[in-house]
Amino acid sequence: MKALRRGLIVAVIAVLVGGFVKLRGKGGVPPTSGGWRELDGPDFR
Amino acid sequence: MTQVLLEGLGAVGIRAARQLVDTPGVDALLIASRSSTRAAEVATALGDRAHAVELRPDDPLPTGVDAVAVSLPSAVVAQRAERALASATPLAAASDDAEAIDAVLTLNAAAQSSDLLIAPSCGLAPGLADVLTRHAADALDTVDEIHVARAGAAGPASMAALRRALREPALEWSDGDWREERHPNPELVWFPDPIGARECAPVTVGAALLVRTFRDVHRVTMRFAEPFVRRFALPGRRGLDDGWGSTRVEVWGWRGQTRESMVYGVIDRTALAAGTVLALTAARLAGAAPGLAARSGPSAGVHGLGSLVEPVPFLAELARRGVKAAVFEGVAVA
Repeated sequence: MKALRRGLIVAVIAVLVGGFVKLRGKGGVPPTSGGWRELDGPDFR
Repeated sequence: MTQVLLEGLGAVGIRAARQLVDTPGVDALLIASRSSTRAAEVATALGDRAHAVELRPDDPLPTGVDAVAVSLPSAVVAQRAERALASATPLAAASDDAEAIDAVLTLNAAAQSSDLLIAPSCGLAPGLADVLTRHAADALDTVDEIHVARAGAAGPASMAALRRALREPALEWSDGDWREERHPNPELVWFPDPIGARECAPVTVGAALLVRTFRDVHRVTMRFAEPFVRRFALPGRRGLDDGWGSTRVEVWGWRGQTRESMVYGVIDRTALAAGTVLALTAARLAGAAPGLAARSGPSAGVHGLGSLVEPVPFLAELARRGVKAAVFEGVAVA
């Protein structure tokens, strides 16, 4: 029982640490408007 | 008669060979490869204008070569540049390794005294990204910041260089000095679809060439996307990117009293885009592509493509060959 409890605590800590490491990176925000337009004729004049 | 020598028949080299043969004004393409059999096979497949040549690293360049296109692993690019310098022949290479670029940059004084142009990085990024940066900069009065990102690699040698770049500590150009990258963690960068959002880590590769081109810029950062591969996969099913790559260039500056940003991107097969850029640059250095007007910039030395080519005709020619750039219209978000 004690071993099981320890195992659960370790698993919870691992999940929390993993989540923290995953989320601490500085992420961009998806563009909310606009989009990509291929350059064509008029852009090359 | 205009002759171009192509060294290397890897993923980029083979595409460059096809593009060079299809370039009006290139009368003969000499192909050198580690395997003379492969060079002969490729030359036969490309038609009458392509010829295989045997060329060891220590051999002098064949006579009558007007430009050299190098598509070899980065470690040997500096040696090839020295050989080209000894023969007073301009050279374009598709190197995407910071050490290799620095090694070629040490030849700048010698290239200037020989009145010779050397372009060490003519791939997707660095390379085409520099042209897009120049295109954006031309629309602005002054340029403050340049942020370049790339996803994808152009073959095994490029993948090795990409992994090496991600392992090494990254430097950014900040207010006139090289500093450790302020945000060393990966950032999400939004490439054109279908690549979309990818986590990109800071690297140093190619930043030096941008700083040499845009002397007054305050900040330059380069980022590469982590390779997107399965750790465990059946043979032949490793690459999730499947050869696709993209580059995204974000340039900040002033137009009148307004601070603006311009964002350009390209998405294509990485090796195809790199091979086309390498071929066009080599043709331009050989004087075989009069449509690709030379930028009224340096006439000699070691430079990035942002200094060497006029962006509009270069991008138009790339588009004609199927490598199309795009502009982001809307809210620029890094």
